[in-house]
Amino acid sequence: MRADVELVDAVGSRAPADVRPIRVRLALTVVSFGVLLAAAVVAAPLIGSTHISLAAALDRSIPFADNADAQIFFVARLPRVVAAALVGASLAAAGVIFQALLRNPLASPDTLGISSGAALGAILAITLHLDLPLPGAPAVPLASLAGSVCALGVVYALAAARRRGLSTTVLLLAGVTMTAFFTALILIAEYAADFGETFRTVRWLMGSLDVAGYAPIAAVLPVVCTAFVLFAPLPRALDLISFGEQSAAARGVDVLRAERTALVSASLATGAAVSIAGPIGFVGIIVPHLVRRLVGSDHRLVLPASALFGAAFLIACDVVARTVIAPLELPVGVVTALIGGPFFLWLLVRGAR
Amino acid sequence: MLEARGLFFSYPRSRPRGAGERPVLDDVSLEVRSGDLLGILGPNGSGKTTLLNILAGALAPDRGEVRLDSRPISAWARRDVARRLALVPQHTHAPFDFSVLDVVLMGRYPHLGPFALEGPADLAIARAALQATGTDAFEDRPFHTLSGGEQQRVAIASALAQSPRLLLLDEPTTSLDLGHQLEVERLLARLNREHGVTLVLSTHDLNLAAALCRQLILLKAGRVIAAGPTEAVLTPASIGALYGVEAEVERHARSSRLLVVPVRRI
Amino acid sequence: MASGLRAGGEGPRARRIAAGLLLAAALGASLRAAPPQRVVSLVPAVTEMIFAMGAGDRLVGVSSFDRFPPEVGRLPRVGALLDPDVERILSLRPDLVVVYATQTELKQRLARARVPTYSYEHRTLADIAGTLRSLGERLGAEAAANRAAGDLERAIAQVRASVAGRPRPRTLLVFDREDASLRRMYASGGYGFLHDMIEAAGGTNVLADVRQQAVQASAELILARRPEVIIELRTGENEAGHVRARDLAAWNALPSVPAVRSHRVHVLVGQEFVVPGPRVALAIKRLAAVLHPEIAP
Repeated sequence: MRADVELVDAVGSRAPADVRPIRVRLALTVVSFGVLLAAAVVAAPLIGSTHISLAAALDRSIPFADNADAQIFFVARLPRVVAAALVGASLAAAGVIFQALLRNPLASPDTLGISSGAALGAILAITLHLDLPLPGAPAVPLASLAGSVCALGVVYALAAARRRGLSTTVLLLAGVTMTAFFTALILIAEYAADFGETFRTVRWLMGSLDVAGYAPIAAVLPVVCTAFVLFAPLPRALDLISFGEQSAAARGVDVLRAERTALVSASLATGAAVSIAGPIGFVGIIVPHLVRRLVGSDHRLVLPASALFGAAFLIACDVVARTVIAPLELPVGVVTALIGGPFFLWLLVRGAR
Repeated sequence: MLEARGLFFSYPRSRPRGAGERPVLDDVSLEVRSGDLLGILGPNGSGKTTLLNILAGALAPDRGEVRLDSRPISAWARRDVARRLALVPQHTHAPFDFSVLDVVLMGRYPHLGPFALEGPADLAIARAALQATGTDAFEDRPFHTLSGGEQQRVAIASALAQSPRLLLLDEPTTSLDLGHQLEVERLLARLNREHGVTLVLSTHDLNLAAALCRQLILLKAGRVIAAGPTEAVLTPASIGALYGVEAEVERHARSSRLLVVPVRRI
Repeated sequence: MASGLRAGGEGPRARRIAAGLLLAAALGASLRAAPPQRVVSLVPAVTEMIFAMGAGDRLVGVSSFDRFPPEVGRLPRVGALLDPDVERILSLRPDLVVVYATQTELKQRLARARVPTYSYEHRTLADIAGTLRSLGERLGAEAAANRAAGDLERAIAQVRASVAGRPRPRTLLVFDREDASLRRMYASGGYGFLHDMIEAAGGTNVLADVRQQAVQASAELILARRPEVIIELRTGENEAGHVRARDLAAWNALPSVPAVRSHRVHVLVGQEFVVPGPRVALAIKRLAAVLHPEIAP
């Protein structure tokens, strides 16, 4: 006998009151955050330290080489907006995944040492003046990506060493240890480097979205796409895993596979983001929190909403970074930190969960 | 329906086991037939939770095998297993803010998978499960604002939403007050009697086991020390062996419940 | 009578002692006034100045960044701006240590050890000759120092004269960027001796309005300022002397910049561009040759 049919008949069912079905909520969420992102993408290239006119930028009659407005719009600003969207979406989505995986709302893409590994890769490339024979393949971003993959490998191997699956406790400990270890290596590299190299590494660590072209974006686009494809089946599994691995397994979730996929995909997204723009903090923590306040905790809503909102958020932060002290620029990591610090204080004061 | 043979389990240790240490489960076998109401009785630390997780296929034993409908549980697809049996854990703790209805809807996962979204039918099943456990009034409340007992009942509703034929419950009444204990007891009895749901529950509450379960397995330090119909198994001798307590077993006149009254420690 | 005789005997001796003491003090004072003979220099620019005034043989220690003239190769290294090795410095028994104005802790420690210091401040182009002169005075080599300062001023004036009246190209002077890309580019702002060198060599710094020595130049800024000449400075330390074609290829990302379009992106390699010492004249000449190629060398 099927218990569900019997139960429904036996107790009768109430008509739904005000709870909208998930289909509607998902559609509403994606549309509203999508509109927000679209607005940001359209507005951001028009704002900057130099005044340009959209009409002039799109005017085909002026040869491109002479059209200053078009050059600034298409070569300087638009790639930057695209990079900000990609990095913001990747960091925010990775933040959501890491928080679910570690079952901790304070986790972030930095928790497991992935961004430290990426930073170490970049800094070694800077201080050792690594040189790649490939044309147009800048060494620093590629070394950064390699560093993040190494960090992932180490953390994964440590956490999977236990016989039975991926231990999140070991993951956390391994991550904290790797962060400390990589940071120490970074300090050694900076200390051993000469003045100019140290200056470069310090500036790299502040983050910058000035990509000056689509090449750095194109280089990591496959990695980001892979990560997002791997993200796709995770949200519901993560909902269930947050209640406990064994109860999730009893509900039919392949827990080990879901956790492995979560770790790898979120690390790839983080590594790609850091290799484009350097480490940018707070996006991976603030955005999931804000989004959860707006849409609830169902990861099927939180993940896409965070990716869209993270993209819009970082685009906005970059606009602030490049206009507030024009013609000079603030590092975008400074802007996200200036927003993130007070945000966390506010969270603490509210005592919110 | 569900059969376990020679289950052996121990947690991985970094150094070799000492002489006097015992495994968590040692050569445990049991059989559950359709329609049974089986209780696993034992003191804390006797391995009940581990046994239930292994029976649900959530944990793999070191040795031995679990068979669901005569097929090894490891040969089943996970979601197919979850459509037939559901596990209610002892504690439910969510680090994120979910509503009660959200929690119960998660029970529909084995039927929906990672990509399908819940539809009106799923909502109806979830609400029915809430009503069956008397928690329908909490539908929109955040799960973490409920009391321990209320959370336990919601957890049962969530398992019911899986539409299982076999329900495994880990200490379902431990954190409930007397009134709610009775309610859950009645609910489980009704599920078994009227809807044919097979139940396997673990408990250390002798009176619950005595009142509700028709079959019992006594588990001590990972070993089965007795198994069979309740009245045959629940004797002062077996209770003394299990808990080190001298007790009397009698039938209460008015309610005709089997009662266990502890007298003193042996 | 006897005591009076003795008193009389001590009076002249006391006067002799006093005279002796006075003489010693005068000698000591004149010894202190004697020019330093054992000089340690933590500032590469000052090292070059000391050699330029013919006092190079008095150097007993230089910084870890000193490279010129070749004679510094055999001198012991004592650290630099961030990591001066006080023990090493003191072990060389210097009677003058040239330090950066910002090295306050080092100055205090040397003062406690009673070692005189000369405090150097990194300022504008015009101050280089001034530093030469004041250092010459300190080292007791005024004549040679004044000659060197005069030579420097004349050389710079000569370059200024040769470019006077000519159109001044809009110039961007880049001193650092990420390899093989245009990211994290640092150029000279409107302040500092790099800026002064551009102006002396007959160019107009496109970033002259930014009151900073180093400006992180974003792609937008470069596009907005439209430099006609881009000069990249390399010290030749870590890179090979030759410039790799694909390093310059990075500029093809901004084809609309006038300098890129007209192929006026130049890389200049040499220490003289980053050391504000006597060789700045050479640096300015090289800059002028790039900015005004029509002037025959």
